[in-house]
Amino acid sequence: MMFGRRAFLQFAAGAVGGTLLSPLPWKLADDSAIWSQNWSWRPSPERGPITKKATICTLCEGGCGIRARLVNGNRAVLLEGNPEHPINRGGICPLAASGLQFLYAPYRITQPIKQTQKRGEASGFKPIPWDEAMSELLDKLVNLRTGGTPHAVACITGQGQGSMRDLWQQFFDAYGSPNFFQMPSHSDSLKLAAFLTLGKEEPLAFALEKASYILSFGSDLIGGWGSPGRMLALWGDWNAAQSENKTPSAKIIQIESRCSMSAAKADRWIPIIPGSEAALALGIAHVMVKENLYDTSYVATNVFGFEDWTDSQGKARQGFKSFLLASENSLEEASRRTGLEPAKIVELAKDFATQPNAVAVWGKSRDLPEKVHHELAFLALNVLKGNLKSQGMISLAPSVPLGPMPQVLADEVAQQGLARKSLDQVKAQDIPLSRKSLYGFLKNLSEAPSYPIEVLMIHEANPAYSLPGNQVFQKAIQKVGWVVSFSSYMDETSLQADIILPNHTAFERYDDVIGVPGLPQAYYAVAAPILPPQWNTRHSGDVLLQMSKNMGGSVADALPWKSYDAFLQDRVKGLAASGRGAVAQTSARQLQETPEGASPKANYKDGADLWKKLASGQCWYDAPQNPLQLVQSPSGKIELAFQSLQSKELEAGKDEQCLPNFSSIALSGNEKEYPLTLVSYQALFLSHGYLPNPPFMTKTLWDFILRNDDSFVELHPETARSLGLDEGNRAVLKTPAGECIVRVHLFPGARLDVIYMPQGLGHKAYDQYIQSKGANPNELLEVQMDPVSGLGTAWAARAQLRRA
Amino acid sequence: MNEEKKNTSGKSRVGGAIFFAGFIVALVFGWVLSPNLIYSQRMQPMQFSHVAHQDSSCEDCHFFREDGTYSGIPRIEKCKECHEAPMGETEDERILVEEYIQKDREIPWRVYAWQPDNVYFSHAPHKAGGMECVACHRDVSSEEKLPPYQENRLTGYSKNTMKMDACEKCHADRGISNNCNTCHK
Repeated sequence: MMFGRRAFLQFAAGAVGGTLLSPLPWKLADDSAIWSQNWSWRPSPERGPITKKATICTLCEGGCGIRARLVNGNRAVLLEGNPEHPINRGGICPLAASGLQFLYAPYRITQPIKQTQKRGEASGFKPIPWDEAMSELLDKLVNLRTGGTPHAVACITGQGQGSMRDLWQQFFDAYGSPNFFQMPSHSDSLKLAAFLTLGKEEPLAFALEKASYILSFGSDLIGGWGSPGRMLALWGDWNAAQSENKTPSAKIIQIESRCSMSAAKADRWIPIIPGSEAALALGIAHVMVKENLYDTSYVATNVFGFEDWTDSQGKARQGFKSFLLASENSLEEASRRTGLEPAKIVELAKDFATQPNAVAVWGKSRDLPEKVHHELAFLALNVLKGNLKSQGMISLAPSVPLGPMPQVLADEVAQQGLARKSLDQVKAQDIPLSRKSLYGFLKNLSEAPSYPIEVLMIHEANPAYSLPGNQVFQKAIQKVGWVVSFSSYMDETSLQADIILPNHTAFERYDDVIGVPGLPQAYYAVAAPILPPQWNTRHSGDVLLQMSKNMGGSVADALPWKSYDAFLQDRVKGLAASGRGAVAQTSARQLQETPEGASPKANYKDGADLWKKLASGQCWYDAPQNPLQLVQSPSGKIELAFQSLQSKELEAGKDEQCLPNFSSIALSGNEKEYPLTLVSYQALFLSHGYLPNPPFMTKTLWDFILRNDDSFVELHPETARSLGLDEGNRAVLKTPAGECIVRVHLFPGARLDVIYMPQGLGHKAYDQYIQSKGANPNELLEVQMDPVSGLGTAWAARAQLRRA
Repeated sequence: MNEEKKNTSGKSRVGGAIFFAGFIVALVFGWVLSPNLIYSQRMQPMQFSHVAHQDSSCEDCHFFREDGTYSGIPRIEKCKECHEAPMGETEDERILVEEYIQKDREIPWRVYAWQPDNVYFSHAPHKAGGMECVACHRDVSSEEKLPPYQENRLTGYSKNTMKMDACEKCHADRGISNNCNTCHK
């Protein structure tokens, strides 16, 4: 009999009935429901014993204490603030909270790689063993020394204030090259202001913990100024005091053109013309002097150059007082420069002068130097208030007595190399306070360098992206013979490298933090790794020490340590030997409440004991210093007319050159063609420096900052209307430096005719979660070179905006 | 016509038989064959005899940590305490020492009672409630060889993984909350 169609259907019908009476369909339905739980790409945390390890965060210079939560001791799953750490008292900023995304980033460079094609080809990188990579670098360095041109080696580091910076410096001194540079920092210009005023080239510190009134000249206090951890903890204190109606709560007056996070949360926001903060400081100083509201006895005793004076040649010179009272610094002039009514300036001056613990703070951000004369204006305002004294509001950041570096006994080759001018100084004869200037170096290198740079080493920095006005770096790198990157990330700068010797990330290595920006107390902490290196990477410090050892001779003698850890331990031993300071115990406020002169009693036995304590996440601290006792200026007093500043203009009789003064920013470009001003801003929720914005943080961006792949600029609604633009419109933003496509966000907190653009977007490297999101203002800004210091700064440009 | 009738009745009988055959085949497949087809038999990376370890107590290897979490399956550190050097001539002993202890690798045991990540399960309250281990786990006190691990081909879970209905039933019987957030945090 044929098994026909009918029979098949009968069989199938029976089978369906049978199947429905078996557990099979229900089992399959259930299984398919949980099938998705085990897809291989679904992230699944490891299981095992949970441990916590305390360390110090080195993602920025803030010196916060953090704790990592680890599974099985080798998988980090969480970073949180350490409640026992005195700086941040358990708080954590978004960057540290997402810090593990750098450790486990897909764009990490997991082993040494070498460019086999043209520079900049991402696909040209091929793995190379460590030994081979090291010997390639070593050969180049040795050959340059043999050829008598050690000065053709340069380095740019992004580590501002750790021992790694000191180790680089030591290496360059021993090797024989003056071309060692750091990424720009506000402390560059701050130190110069302290040098001119006090005769000490140290950064300044602010006792904000006891402030009752803070005039913030454009400092985004909770947007990344100083140490974010400290500032956030402080802001929390002020809020708590305010809500409980307790004193002391600090009154915060935010002076800046844009309603930033700090301005929105301040007691008062004083919107002024961008870049005129120093003019307002002089305006307030003018009112204080005119109305006799300044600390007269303090100024009479401790200040030089307030009254008119006579210089060593017997020439009569103008003092700060008559300069302030002159017509060019009148109240009306200050009002014109800042766009603020005179009455408001007078009111601010009276408030500032009458409050007991009032202080003026300044500096747009940690990585942006200011014009030296502007720094001096802010500092002079504090001098009039009598803030630089024993137990005062402002002091010099104390140094940390670490073990000294061995003396460099430079050999003949090194001496010759060091005798050469560093490349930034070649054309710097007219710059009176010339210091190392990265912009100067890059500018001279890109134009017509007086000698070539054969090897450029870049360590923990991404100037190709994060340097404002980064075109100068792009041009300069074309002229370099061989580029070495120590980055562990495939960032914009690494892409330009010939060879990459990846460093460990911040959580896999020993590092240290010397001092906290803006903190009056001395501070030292060791960041111990929270887990072993995940990849075939090496500590750049170890690479440097290995390099020196293999070079032998005076270079090896100058860097005698086995490893970077041993070097740090050596420095801590020196710190312990000084017998100064103590390890902060668990009382969270003990560090900030340590007054001047009350040095804590050492609570560590010896170097090994101190190292053990520091490596477990604790920190060392010491009392603040009295700035009046440290003054080393030519007059022995705090100077408001700077005798150490000698320049051609000064000799030509322009006395204001040696006084704190204001000059408005002169931006290039035709005002008709570029009727608007572009101003970049930084925020705590958007990483803008060496580290890219991690995906966790990108999640927190409002959709009027970043939407899909478009970033927004802020524009006042009236300005937008005059340009025919509306919320969300696409527009072309053009400056003399370049152009990009942005979208428009109408923001009443913006100033008329000013475009505000956030820093931290517009990456071209990394991976799909970071690259091509938004635009990078650093490509549009104009670099201004300060004629007094040679430091470059870039935060604005003339701009036009037209509908795309 | 008659013939046709005969034919149809014959046909319907045959048809019924075919229907029934299909019914029986599907039943056999659904009840008997499919459970074996759904699961693939996986072997553990090496053999382990619980009987051979009876000189130690259960808690030596399966213990509560100080923070209240349960250690579950011992890690290689635990094996190292006694097996730093081979303690016998067997092949499994060699694998343990040479492949795992000397290379400091964890043994990738397949876990019979593995719960998914979206389930929050703590042994501590169950132990405190007086439950015996064997209420949920197999009795290993006389086990010389590890049973084969049966892995669901579709989901990847072990056949022994306790399903939600079993958890809920037990909770309901004992008057323990069955709120979602009891087990799904």
